[in-house]
Amino acid sequence: MTGLADVQTESEPERVARARGGDAGAFESLYREHVGRVYGLCLRMTGQPATAEDLTQDTFVSAWRSLPGYEGRSSFSTWLHRIAVNAVLAARRGPLGRNETSLTGEDGEDMELAAEAVMDEATPIDLERAIGTLPAGARDIVVLHGIYGYSHEEAAGMLGVAVGTCKAQLHRARQLLRKRMRMEAAT
Amino acid sequence: MTTIPFGPRRDDDALMSKASELPKDVAPARDLWPGIAARLGEERRATAPRSFGWPMALAAGLLVAAVSALLTWGLLREPLTPADVLAGGDAAPAAVVPVSYGANSALGAEQLAARDALLVEFQSRFAQLAPETREAVLANLAVIQKAADEIDAALARDPASGLLNELLVGTYQQELQLYSKVVTARDGTTRRT
Repeated sequence: MTGLADVQTESEPERVARARGGDAGAFESLYREHVGRVYGLCLRMTGQPATAEDLTQDTFVSAWRSLPGYEGRSSFSTWLHRIAVNAVLAARRGPLGRNETSLTGEDGEDMELAAEAVMDEATPIDLERAIGTLPAGARDIVVLHGIYGYSHEEAAGMLGVAVGTCKAQLHRARQLLRKRMRMEAAT
Repeated sequence: MTTIPFGPRRDDDALMSKASELPKDVAPARDLWPGIAARLGEERRATAPRSFGWPMALAAGLLVAAVSALLTWGLLREPLTPADVLAGGDAAPAAVVPVSYGANSALGAEQLAARDALLVEFQSRFAQLAPETREAVLANLAVIQKAADEIDAALARDPASGLLNELLVGTYQQELQLYSKVVTARDGTTRRT
């Protein structure tokens, strides 16, 4: 196995190739490079640090298993994100789901805090916190499209919904964000 | 912190522009690698080759759905009666082994804990069933186990597949429904004394 220090100077494709061959050191190097983006995505989609940690681990374990099938048609980062999004969605679809932070129900009207918030309530309202208050569908598209820069087509593919649905969710998210921030500014 | 001085002149594009400026990377509070490395080590030890493919996983999902439908039909059509109850003998049947989900199947501990809670009551009810009924239940569980194995094998090669993950969750739900049906079909399931 190649040591972590040995592979840090290699290019990403080289490390991916090594990892595909079973080199855990190369894979750890890829983990170190990408864990922040994967965790950030999971955290923003779930609103739960502990759940996001679990899903981040699930994502990298799944990635390790499926590396032999990775053909490099998308960037390694995008490929990891697809796995992470699927992990989040699978967790939500589970019989119990996973508790998520949201200040609103699907109708966008419920302002009760549903679970432990990513940022405590003493934190002044900011965009990050406002995004965390969105219902899941609207939050997903803001995270993927707004923060991580995926196109509507890419985001729709990751989320398994129609492009039109993504656009509608983004429109709804914008309205809710404006409302949230206007309310906060008024208090 | 990215604070937006929200006001009437602030338009939606500016909102998304600000969103794009948020940091992409968020560092977890702890190093997650040791847990990942431990799981990768377990994977290496479990070296049994798998040969199932996508068609098998899809077939497994369809089979589970078909079996579940048959079981539902059977239980609804003929609720358990005293004839289904063990006619005699005090020897308790062996405890039912729940479906085992593989390392590629992302079922959370919370979900499996919920199943364990249901299993306690199920095991009690199962012991009161007639041998023929127990066999039918075990046969259904075997089908669900086979489906779970095949979906897990397919997930090993395609963990990002939404369809496979849906099939996995569907299979898990079928297992819970099987237990639930046995637990809730109370008519005539009391062991005769």
